[in-house]
Amino acid sequence: MNPEKIYSEEELILLLRQQSREAFNYLYSQYSAVLYGVIRKMIYDDDIARDVLHDVFVKIWISINQYDAGKGRLYTWMINIARNASIDKLRSRGEIMKAKIQTTEDAVNKLEQGMKTELYTDSIGLRKIVANLKPEYEAIIDLAYFKGFTLDEISKSLGIPLGTIKTRMRSGMKQLREAFNN
Amino acid sequence: MDIREYIESGIAEAYVLGALTPEERMQFESDMAVYPELAKEVRALEFTLFQYCSANAITPPATLKEPVYDALLNATGSMITNHGKTGKQIPIKPAYKKSTFNFRNAAAVAIILGSLSVNYIFWNQGHKEQLERIALQEQLTKIQADQKLLASQLSDFRSSTAMMADTGIQTIVMHTMVKGHPMAATLYWSKANGETYVAMDALPKPPKGMQYQLWVMQNGKPVSMGIIPDGMENTPVMQKISMVVTNGEAFAISLEKRGGNAAPTTLYVMGKA
Repeated sequence: MNPEKIYSEEELILLLRQQSREAFNYLYSQYSAVLYGVIRKMIYDDDIARDVLHDVFVKIWISINQYDAGKGRLYTWMINIARNASIDKLRSRGEIMKAKIQTTEDAVNKLEQGMKTELYTDSIGLRKIVANLKPEYEAIIDLAYFKGFTLDEISKSLGIPLGTIKTRMRSGMKQLREAFNN
Repeated sequence: MDIREYIESGIAEAYVLGALTPEERMQFESDMAVYPELAKEVRALEFTLFQYCSANAITPPATLKEPVYDALLNATGSMITNHGKTGKQIPIKPAYKKSTFNFRNAAAVAIILGSLSVNYIFWNQGHKEQLERIALQEQLTKIQADQKLLASQLSDFRSSTAMMADTGIQTIVMHTMVKGHPMAATLYWSKANGETYVAMDALPKPPKGMQYQLWVMQNGKPVSMGIIPDGMENTPVMQKISMVVTNGEAFAISLEKRGGNAAPTTLYVMGKA
């Protein structure tokens, strides 16, 4: 495959519907790392995460005809397939509750880390590289997007009022949006 | 409805993050159909999330690609061959038998023909130019996003380059001690003033209830340098260690129960000074 070739989403959709090897190569090279990153955000176990990535590609491949460009971009559709497949996998293994408990601990750690960052000003790092997103914002965005928590569940599990969760979620998205110049 | 106020409430953010209840989501989707501003806001937020996911991307193991492709071929094959469990060819039966399957086939053929004719129309009515223009636009947007991301990463790393440029700093790569598990971490050590920094480049997230602990080998004995904070694994982020270390033969990281231990239990990586 010509590595310099770049397809638009519209072209890629056409190629995928023809189910060519080239379409697969392009799909895999462009999106496998993003989708695997999403899955790994949700599933810590490498082996299970790999299985889910496998299933996600199969799902994309056989349901590309059901993709409706009017309802959103192709990347959103694919990321949502990865999110749903990960949640299904966790649920089927009875790990969804466990994951919720564990992520609450992670989120609390992140909040604590956020406070520490401010205390230890002489230390390099600790800040997440991703858009320098504040840990207390990142915790909420990740709980919703990668763990399937509703606003109410986030509020209850972090013991933070719903209004504060909404404000932080909005501020976090605003920060990301500005960081990516979107 | 005041649409600006509605957007200000953060409902669109909650929607794209999947944090609405099913009822709230249905309500929002019907609102979106009425107010194009909402749909526009949602598309912009979805693009931001795509960039967020791209920034969190992890390349899957290279060995995964071919098995995935094989599975796709099988998946496509089984759709066309009508779910034949034995895998052998099933002769086409009269319509009154297995009518649901034949209906499916007909639907599949209709979809394929539809898709083919759409392709034909697209490729033959001069839409190619338009597609190319869209492709260029997307390329430009992607380049701009990449550039923005690089700029933010650059400022992150700039602060650490001053430290890296210091010739008094020794770089110690700690290699895996667990056979079959490629892991690595890096330690930066200024022997003169006893400063150390650690980066957990390639260490897995520790299991629940466990943490990483850093050690320095002094006169053949491991001395604890403390617990490494959570969330640093698999990142090039450097953490300054508060303990002053002016002598040592080697550095190591071990996996310990939360809170750490007086002596290392399982060494994960180690590197000689």
